[in-house]
Amino acid sequence: MRTKWLWVVALAGVAAGCGEGHAIFNVDVYSFIKGTGRDTIPYFVPPGPPASASTFQRIDLPGAGSSFVDSVIVNGKMSLENQAGTGSIGLQLFIAADSAGTLNSSALALTVPDAAVSGTAVTPDTIVGRFNDAVIQLFTGSQLWIRLQAKGTNSGVILLQGKAVIKSLWLTVVINDKLF
Amino acid sequence: MRTFVLGFGLVVLVGGAAAPAAAQWLVTDARRIGMGGLSLGRSGSLERYNPAYRAVPRQATLRGQPKLTIPIPLGIIQFLHDHPHLSSDPAFDPKSSGFNPILVVNTILNLPLYLEVKKAPTPTNDVAFTIGQDSLVVNLGAAAELVPEDQFGISGSSRPFSPGFGFKGLRIGVMGWVHDDVEFQLGDTLLGFLRDSQPARHNTRYSVLLHGLVEGGFAPTVSYAGRIAGDSTHGFYAGGAVHYYVGVGYGRTDGDAGFITGDTIFGGANPVTPDGRTLTQYSKPGNTFGHGIGGDIGVAWVSGPIEIGVGVNDIGATITWPDTRLDSAFYHDSSYSKPVANHVETKTKLPVSYIANLAYTVGNTTLGADVLNTGRGSVVHVGGEQRIGLFAVRGGVARDQRKRIEFGFGGGVRFGGLGLDVGFWTHTNSLSNERGVTMATSLSIY
Repeated sequence: MRTKWLWVVALAGVAAGCGEGHAIFNVDVYSFIKGTGRDTIPYFVPPGPPASASTFQRIDLPGAGSSFVDSVIVNGKMSLENQAGTGSIGLQLFIAADSAGTLNSSALALTVPDAAVSGTAVTPDTIVGRFNDAVIQLFTGSQLWIRLQAKGTNSGVILLQGKAVIKSLWLTVVINDKLF
Repeated sequence: MRTFVLGFGLVVLVGGAAAPAAAQWLVTDARRIGMGGLSLGRSGSLERYNPAYRAVPRQATLRGQPKLTIPIPLGIIQFLHDHPHLSSDPAFDPKSSGFNPILVVNTILNLPLYLEVKKAPTPTNDVAFTIGQDSLVVNLGAAAELVPEDQFGISGSSRPFSPGFGFKGLRIGVMGWVHDDVEFQLGDTLLGFLRDSQPARHNTRYSVLLHGLVEGGFAPTVSYAGRIAGDSTHGFYAGGAVHYYVGVGYGRTDGDAGFITGDTIFGGANPVTPDGRTLTQYSKPGNTFGHGIGGDIGVAWVSGPIEIGVGVNDIGATITWPDTRLDSAFYHDSSYSKPVANHVETKTKLPVSYIANLAYTVGNTTLGADVLNTGRGSVVHVGGEQRIGLFAVRGGVARDQRKRIEFGFGGGVRFGGLGLDVGFWTHTNSLSNERGVTMATSLSIY
């Protein structure tokens, strides 16, 4: 998301409205990943222990600098399009300053609880969450990495197979401006 | 990012604040401030803009005015209290990451001579941005009202020096002159995007029109001011001046700059393409002088308690620059500039300024009004003073170049030849419609 030019205009508004107001960015993340393949996470969970699958994505940020990111809220919709097997699938979002960092458990920023899937049923699910302070601080940098992980358990005897497809994903970033 | 924000803030600040700075804020006389900035007699702007006032006897226009006013800059104490380590204050250090040019410019435009009794609040509202790969909407909320619909900028003409000598109303001298004019106007698409929260469109140009001009030089001047009729208490005065303007140098640029969106608002590596073009004209100092002729006229009528005056400056002051260079510059996917013409003649025009004033004194009461236009809107002052024994009470109202109404009030006490005056003045900054109040103090010697 090369949004640097946007900040020229957008933060002009912050300047115009400076004071104690907030800058609220409603970012339609899904529109940036739709159709690229990154909106889909295939999962394959054999019978036995839990398994997971991930996709990585780098996001370029304008760098909020001295501004203080007050809160980041995530909401969206996804579908678990199961193709075979029975079990449960959940989604986890890891955020870190670099790609390797997203593999750390401490980078866990959001968890979508497991939902039961079976056969060829399509299971809709929602994504709702609020990032903690440690994650929020990453939004003041110039870039961050996210890792979307579908994790599941297989309660049956055949391969649990399908894909988690994101249908919408919005980030609401609230910035307390400290430019003045 | 911060640079962009600060840049926009500077434009807003300068565009909005410079006008009153030029017209009102550099007043250091608490008495005048208490009357809403009203100019009386030879005070303020009258002698500068009305050549007839040179002939009006100072005694005839005193109207309770002191011979000398010494400002007491209490605001500096407040400023130094707020910035105790100015030399190491990062906000004032261009080399520091904390350098805040807005604070610097605001300090210059609003010199901290006055005590800030009540600060003008900055607006508090949220601004929202909705961003998608192919959508962008900005909602500035109440701050959208601050996005200028019309042309905005700063301009002024000044005469920084005017030495000379005279004999019986005739005066020969040399006047320095400077004229500057900076204007911006948002294009329709950018205006709609920022002010009306219109979504960004594909393949659309968002731009700002730009105009800047600065010129200066000197002008040998012959002037006359004298009483045409009446005596020292009931007289009609007229004055005039002819200037031969010699232009030392000037530069002017006109153009527009902005960006063009692509097929997708945030598609590809370069979602927008910067785009700009300007035509620059200049005649550097050391080049052939510009030249032109213009003049000032003024009349004043002082009849006992009544005083009326009208003055007009820089009439017909068109400067011809015989040796000008014209360059065009263009930027789209790459930049280039090329000379358009050289050694060509161009012309510039100084803005005509005028002032009209009226004062009426009856007993210990003085009332007055003046209108000053320096080429970018009129500034109106109406005020008065009531002297009661040792004390004086003052009040006034002013309309600035942004058509905002401001109020002044104050008082003074006089002990023989020495007086102490206090004046309060409301003001609004560029970012708010709510008023702040400053207090000026000065010593007067009668």
